[in-house]
Amino acid sequence: MNFLAPAAFAFAAAIPVVIVFYMLKRRRVVKLVSSTLFWQKFLAETQASAPFQRLRHNWLLILQLLMLALIILALARPYFAGQERGGRLRVIILDASASMQSTDEKPSRFEKARQEALKFINTLQDSDETVVLQAGAQTEVRQSATSDKGALRRAINASMATDSPTRLAEAFKLSETLIKNRSDAEIHLFSDGAWPNLAEFENKNLPLAYHRVGQRANNLGIVSVDVRANPDDPSQRAVFANIGNFSTNAQQTEVELSFEDRILEVRPIHLAPTNMQALVFITPQSKDGVFTVRLMANDDLAADNRVSIVSLLPQPVNVLLVTRGNQILEKALRSQVHVQLSTSTVLTDSARVFEIVVLDDVMPAVWPAVNTLAIHTANTNWFSGWETVKTPPIVDWKNTHPLLRFVNFDNVFVAETLGVKAPAWGISLVDSPQTPLIIAGELERQRIVWIGFDTLNSTWPFRISFPIFMVNAIEWLNPASANSGQLMVRAGDPFRLGLPQPITSAEVTQPDGTTKSLPIEPTARELIFGETFRQGAYRLKAGTNQVTFCVNLMDAAESNIMPREELPFGKYGKVSATTLKRASMELWRWIAAAGLLVLLFEWWYYHKRTA
Amino acid sequence: MALLSPELLRRLEQFQLLAARRAKSSMKGERRSRARGQSVEFADYRNYTPGDDFRYLDWNLYGRLDRLFLKLYEEERELPVRVFLDASESMTFGEPPKFDFARQVAAASGYVALCGFDRVSVIPFPDNSNEAAVRGALRSVRGRKSTLSFFQNLGQVTASGSANLNEALRRGALEARQAGVAIILSDFLDPAGYEGGLSALVGRGFQVNAVQILAPDELNPPTYGDLKLVDSESGAFQEVTFGRYRLKVYQQTVQNFCQRLREFCTVRGVNFFMASSDTPLEQLLLKQLRQAEVWG
Repeated sequence: MNFLAPAAFAFAAAIPVVIVFYMLKRRRVVKLVSSTLFWQKFLAETQASAPFQRLRHNWLLILQLLMLALIILALARPYFAGQERGGRLRVIILDASASMQSTDEKPSRFEKARQEALKFINTLQDSDETVVLQAGAQTEVRQSATSDKGALRRAINASMATDSPTRLAEAFKLSETLIKNRSDAEIHLFSDGAWPNLAEFENKNLPLAYHRVGQRANNLGIVSVDVRANPDDPSQRAVFANIGNFSTNAQQTEVELSFEDRILEVRPIHLAPTNMQALVFITPQSKDGVFTVRLMANDDLAADNRVSIVSLLPQPVNVLLVTRGNQILEKALRSQVHVQLSTSTVLTDSARVFEIVVLDDVMPAVWPAVNTLAIHTANTNWFSGWETVKTPPIVDWKNTHPLLRFVNFDNVFVAETLGVKAPAWGISLVDSPQTPLIIAGELERQRIVWIGFDTLNSTWPFRISFPIFMVNAIEWLNPASANSGQLMVRAGDPFRLGLPQPITSAEVTQPDGTTKSLPIEPTARELIFGETFRQGAYRLKAGTNQVTFCVNLMDAAESNIMPREELPFGKYGKVSATTLKRASMELWRWIAAAGLLVLLFEWWYYHKRTA
Repeated sequence: MALLSPELLRRLEQFQLLAARRAKSSMKGERRSRARGQSVEFADYRNYTPGDDFRYLDWNLYGRLDRLFLKLYEEERELPVRVFLDASESMTFGEPPKFDFARQVAAASGYVALCGFDRVSVIPFPDNSNEAAVRGALRSVRGRKSTLSFFQNLGQVTASGSANLNEALRRGALEARQAGVAIILSDFLDPAGYEGGLSALVGRGFQVNAVQILAPDELNPPTYGDLKLVDSESGAFQEVTFGRYRLKVYQQTVQNFCQRLREFCTVRGVNFFMASSDTPLEQLLLKQLRQAEVWG
């Protein structure tokens, strides 16, 4: 016989203490009585507690020692090393996404899930091994496989819900790896089911048990926000907000817009059931700052009722156009409000004074070191080689990319282009069967847009999409706008900041006012802050730079907090909500606890008699 | 301290000890006996034999039958009353002390007996050489005129020492020349028991009345906790743990003890009475003893 917790034998030190209690002479009150005849009966019974210097045979003592010995033995958790097969594996996934903060369960869905998970732990057998995963934006292994229930309970109690969306796929992938080759393994998911479709697991046949929490979907949420120059009046800013009503009742509430904690406007809105409504606020802006859109709704989920966005005033951008002459291109660039355009026919230096260089069908003597729009020219650093491709047909383009917003290539014909292979540093935006035609990417912190064909050798300049593309390209290549795009991240995603000069220390002030120092290596060229679990405005002080960035939920799937009875896995796969099976629950702890209570009662009763 | 109040004494004067059997004493008294002698109660005739007192001849009968007959009268004898008074250390306990109560009952019994011209013997036990004179004076008291000294002597008896109830009763039974009424005043708390002594008295022909006197503290002990109890007579100690919840068990123990004693007495024709030392004296003397026809 072996013991799982041999340290419990330390409690054996209590045995001599019990014996000493019996050897101690108790102080008694001396009383003269006429006769002890009537007391003979009591004497016989209480001789047991009549202590003498010498230990006497005493059933009470023997019983107490026996009970103590049994309790110590139980605490030591004895086991036989037999030929029994190994314990089962259980993977507990706790959904820690924003929707789990909903208060339709009291105090919250996450607390309810925690309680359910703790109950589930109680039903496990001692030989079962369990892994605890917390699934938020990232999946964290809270506890690796163990049969120590204390450690499992600690891991579950230490978990916390975040403001981030759910990324369950990661947790399932990890679980799948863990349960590989374990036929009796089970995955237990404690969640409300608010996540997108998990089609990739359709055919995996995961042994998943879904423990549903949540009761209703009384929630309004801001699912997207953007701030831009007002298209009608560039001196003003337009703040777009998309508000969703995820409950099955019509809702009426107010939306508040504030700038740097100063309220600008409050607007009442009426939302039909399960509908969305877009709002546009027009407001002047005199300095860089943070716009905050706030829903005054009193709903079950507070995390999506507030969205902050950093708005930087537009700055002039210096663009150098290197061309042998392209009026259409020049006009397309010059028409943009903030562009200060210079032109040249040759490029002899790296053009560091400009923010953007446009190379129009020229081979520069020195390649620019700044963001570059290269048309019909190629750098050997970018591509391993190229060839000329005649009349490539345009078969596909990625209109979800910011560069191709409102751009389409219908009726665009290209006479010839440089044929290259899609490089690792960029993605192809416009494709022909033979070669990518437009590539955008980032190479060594330099943003590059590459157009393989001479625009003048195509019909593109005659299409409306050409100047729109140029506007998109300048905005995408503009370092200032690139940075402002980085200033809003979704909860759980890391915030990245490029470091032009090395710095030694950085400090982040979080929305709740607490500050956090970030360790930075002197050679680091990028600062990464990953603890973006709470939504709100974060203020980063890195060296002499001060940067404000915002963390928001903005996830319609997460805001839709309706608890799902079934989890969809692709088109056909699904898992229904299960109920806990309270099987094979060990009882020895309760019995041992009852034994202890009996012991306490015996002690109390014994002393009550003398009162 | 006056043992008995004048009012109680007046009421006791009306009583007389009731003896179920005829007196066997050799001394003259006021009790009917089987002996023939001088009294006003006619008993029988017998033939005249020379030397008989002519005064007792029935001349009317001689006139009718012409034969001489002698009239015989019942001889009235005294009734010996023996009061066994437990004067051991254990009788000093209680509030009021059990011994005081026992002396009052002894005094009352003695007074009733003296008023009836019976001989009273108070036998305190155990022996105490310091009180030999007083105790000697109590051995045989007769006549109403002796009442005062009887009370005085009784008031001077003290309780101390360890008693052996069986031995005291057995000795008393043997010492008595004639059987009579025996009144035992004791707490009967003798580890050696009481059976032998009571049996000896009953066997000797005594009409036995046993009065068990217990202190209120013995019936309802007021002290709780871890106790070391010291026996007042033997000096032996017992360690007990006693709590309020044990009170019923204790009372049951006392009841069982008393019940055994009562049954023992009932079987042998002994009148048994149990009294707490704080019982009103009148309650015992004028009601219980009277109802039991100890006196009437």
